Amino acid sequence: MRLAESQEQRELRASVRKFLADKQPLTAVRELMDTPSGYDPAVWRQACGQLGLPAIAIPEEYGGAGFTFVEQAIVLEELGRALYCGPYFASAVLAANALLCCAGEQAKQAHLPDIAAGETIATLALGDEELAAADDAGTWRLTGRRDLVLDGAVAGLVLVATDESLFAVAADAPGMTRIPLATLDQTRRLAAITFTDTPATPVGPAAGLAKALDRAAIALAAEQLGGAQAALDMAVAYAKTREQFNRPIGTFQAIKHQCADLLLEVESTRSAVLYGAWAVTDDSDELPTVAPLTKAYASDTFSHAAAENIQIHGGIGFTWEHDAHLYFKRAHFDQQFLGDPAAHRERLAQRIGI
Amino acid sequence: MELDLGPDIAEFRADLRAWVAAHAPAGLAELTDWQSIGVTGGYRPEGLAAAMADPRYQEWERELVDARLVCPQWPAEYGGQDMDAVRIAVLNEEFARAGVPRVVRGMGEGFVGPSILVHATPEQKARFLPRIVSGEDVYCQGFSEPGHGSDLASVETRGVVDGDEIVVTGQKVWTSGAARANMMFVLCRTDPDAPKHSGLSYVLIPFTGPEVTYRPIRQMTGAAEFCEDFLDGVRAPLANVIGGLNNGWRVAMTTLGHERGGRATVGHLRFEQEFWALVDTARKYGRHTDPLVRQQLAWAYTQVQLMRYSGVRTLAQVAEGRQPGPEASITKLFWSEYHKRLGEIAMHVVGTAGLVRPDGDGYPTTEWQNVYLASRSGTIYSGTSEIQRNIIAERALGLPR
Repeated sequence: MRLAESQEQRELRASVRKFLADKQPLTAVRELMDTPSGYDPAVWRQACGQLGLPAIAIPEEYGGAGFTFVEQAIVLEELGRALYCGPYFASAVLAANALLCCAGEQAKQAHLPDIAAGETIATLALGDEELAAADDAGTWRLTGRRDLVLDGAVAGLVLVATDESLFAVAADAPGMTRIPLATLDQTRRLAAITFTDTPATPVGPAAGLAKALDRAAIALAAEQLGGAQAALDMAVAYAKTREQFNRPIGTFQAIKHQCADLLLEVESTRSAVLYGAWAVTDDSDELPTVAPLTKAYASDTFSHAAAENIQIHGGIGFTWEHDAHLYFKRAHFDQQFLGDPAAHRERLAQRIGI
Repeated sequence: MELDLGPDIAEFRADLRAWVAAHAPAGLAELTDWQSIGVTGGYRPEGLAAAMADPRYQEWERELVDARLVCPQWPAEYGGQDMDAVRIAVLNEEFARAGVPRVVRGMGEGFVGPSILVHATPEQKARFLPRIVSGEDVYCQGFSEPGHGSDLASVETRGVVDGDEIVVTGQKVWTSGAARANMMFVLCRTDPDAPKHSGLSYVLIPFTGPEVTYRPIRQMTGAAEFCEDFLDGVRAPLANVIGGLNNGWRVAMTTLGHERGGRATVGHLRFEQEFWALVDTARKYGRHTDPLVRQQLAWAYTQVQLMRYSGVRTLAQVAEGRQPGPEASITKLFWSEYHKRLGEIAMHVVGTAGLVRPDGDGYPTTEWQNVYLASRSGTIYSGTSEIQRNIIAERALGLPR
């Protein structure tokens, strides 16, 4: 484990940040919020082709770039900071790790190279809604539903988890209906998917899914870290320039102390995300504890930072025009997605033997 | 997971581990819970005083002094071995692993030494530092006064130059370890006409003799770990002024800001032990199945692990040659606020059982009652949480003063 950021990692961070600032600033995010698909295919293609972002943590034997999860966490932090709209998390985190942790060799070879190249947008349909898998004369068929599937409407490959198995369902599979949902956070897209005798290919047992979801929890925490840092940066910048009573509001301790508490939380989240990213990279037995606690804490941090950012901005922070609400809504999405803080703390309690 | 600090450090770690195994007296680790020493308002290791009076501890102390493992971060000419912060961290980790105590020289090592190393003359260094290493001089702190806590620069204790001596008169407060000390490092006003930060001097005074009186302050815990001190014309040679007359503020700030990350990776250990003790208590009271208690315990475990992760990260930065800055304030704010909350959680876990104290003279308390009460001090001493937040906001975030 080497926690200090290397020169190479700093350059990666800088290039992703510049790419997002150029190609998808918050003005572009706002335009995408109003489009049906919610993302810009041209920017996605560049992110995949020119930067190779989905490939980053996928092993080279499956068409990936063979960097580690530590580098992917840097990418995710930058995506979170920029409120990137697109299927990166669904495809390069959820689906890729579900395949890496559950799938047999054949399924990995079949899907991971296309995910790495961005040719396939994949997602993972999670949930505990009713869903049955039946072997129909050699063809598995799914019947049931998954109500909240990240980027479920745009995915070309839907991985479906049942209690026993992970299945792959092609975008054009008969009997699959996908309904895009109006999301509170318009920078994230969800779809409700129903399956009626939908043919599906089993890709492996679901036993590995817990590890895939632990990795996803840390990945989401990395995005939350980026969002929280952005919200804190906005609040601090505003507190330095906004004047009331003939002085910057940042001179008031009521503002200072809020910002100081947020920095403590953001820096603590950063420590946990870094440590967690190394736990993934080293395939450490600490992953089952570091994952839930990191997701729980990152959720609390981002929610707090996004809320406080609105408060510190005052009236302007409550407007649609100001970007503060975009982070507030993203924070809420991330807090609930993949399990809320209380669920992760309960999971942690169980895993440490309480 | 262990931080990869390179082959040199790995070799240092292996050598040290072998040295400890060869030199630690048998039974030393079992004398008491050494790793919880220094917890003000924590878990008080039982029988600490008896353990430190044990011949095995005394032997260990001699071994460490001889091996230059007391104040090892100090230059060799003053008894140390110029050990860097990364090796100090490894030293702390290895001693913790073996369950043996570091021999630390309290405020002499943590506060006075760093100020002397930065600001004193070579003669002063040669005179004062070896006496700290050997244990001849034990220091207590003379900073806070009844009227001046957070606003330290307003201290009123007077220092008057009289020939080649300085005469110190005033009242200090919140002195811990006064009974053990023979020296005090004191911040006093030597130029009453100068602006408040410019008229102060940092003086090492004898804390003995009829000019010095102190009396214990009984705390809300019932214990008396601090004293108030009355200095009535205490004389010290002018050569005991560190950093020059009227330069005391800078010297004192060196003291307060000194944090090199050597304890970064062991600071959480005492809280981890305490956490598992609370889990045991929750089980004993049948409270571990209560959903709210489970949330609180998981929250506490999270905080302890965050301290551990942040410590490892700090050490990684120190190993890269970066000096920790406002991280020290973040660390202090984190653990002290955590510990208050932990005390509240513990009292929630024990419920109404916490309403009753053990029988006995004075004001004996249970372990959790003590944590609950004593942890209130953590966010006040060594810079209140409000002061820490000011430091973080101004120095780390650049918010205007």
